[in-house]
Amino acid sequence: MIRREAIGILAKMLKNYPIVSADGYTSRDLFETCDKPSNFYMIGSMGLASSIALGVAVKKTKKKVFVFDGDGNILMNLGSLTTIGRVSPKNLVHVVFDNSIHESTGGQPTHSSVIKIEKIAQLCGYTVYKTNSKVKLKDIFKKIIKIRAPIMILIKVEASKIISSRVIYSPTKIKNRFMRSIK
Amino acid sequence: MNEKIQRKVFQYFYKNKIENFVGVPDSTIKYFIDEGLRYKKILIATREEEAIGIATGMSLAKSPSLVFMQNAGFGNSISTITSLVQLYKIPLIFLIGWRGYLPDDAPEHIKFGKIQPELIKSLGLKSKVMSDSDWQKSCKWALTQLNAVKPCLLIIKREFHD
Repeated sequence: MIRREAIGILAKMLKNYPIVSADGYTSRDLFETCDKPSNFYMIGSMGLASSIALGVAVKKTKKKVFVFDGDGNILMNLGSLTTIGRVSPKNLVHVVFDNSIHESTGGQPTHSSVIKIEKIAQLCGYTVYKTNSKVKLKDIFKKIIKIRAPIMILIKVEASKIISSRVIYSPTKIKNRFMRSIK
Repeated sequence: MNEKIQRKVFQYFYKNKIENFVGVPDSTIKYFIDEGLRYKKILIATREEEAIGIATGMSLAKSPSLVFMQNAGFGNSISTITSLVQLYKIPLIFLIGWRGYLPDDAPEHIKFGKIQPELIKSLGLKSKVMSDSDWQKSCKWALTQLNAVKPCLLIIKREFHD
């Protein structure tokens, strides 16, 4: 499974749940496979998707808030895992699409082929799921939607040469429609 | 800025509907942070960019936020300020401790303390340096900026040695 497939499957299941998606190809894949007002596409500020989602989650406690993150992205903000663990929001679901490379910048390796991100998350108090299968992904989704704890779903994905198009909306439009959707 | 005024600054924002205070501690503003801790209103992040990210999320949920940090951490956050806060027009109040304001502050703060005013100007951010006498005016100005969906900076000078 490549990231674009995994993102499409998940985003369609998520319907109107808010998703904060990381900059680079993650947001581009989400935009192309399942564009919705409840998607907050990040353009810059690499690493901060989980922090933004944490801020939304602690203020909108009745909704599950999703993060679409990458391995390179979360490795840039590892402290975020400790803050999320400490705050322990019951409604945050941190999805990491892990291909062990910085795909957007030319496929350079990240540490995640050796260092297991899901193990670090577990130590920080996350409930962790890991998969590389489409079928299991659907099962995991059904399970996690009822769990009241910070959750990480780490999805091992393969590198891909398919490049999704850039998000066409202006940043303020992305913000405004997201804000309206989470009212 | 003395202890009493720093505590008043927190009280002022707290009473004027700032709901979240997220940041990284700085000794220059330690009484402000201490006052917030007494009210259980402070969230300490692991670094300044993370704090800005969390406060941005809160702001997206329409909950007004202030981020606090030392100027060194403000320096770390420049890319986040340009590519998140300014790009998406996120209204946030930044409260920043100005290390290197005194020319004989600790050596690691001298350079940044010196370039800070020019840097803020180049970034196109609006700022006010607060004093013990006009702090209330500055705080009121910051709230006006926030209501106009604009980020702004309040700066507290480091006027002592330790």
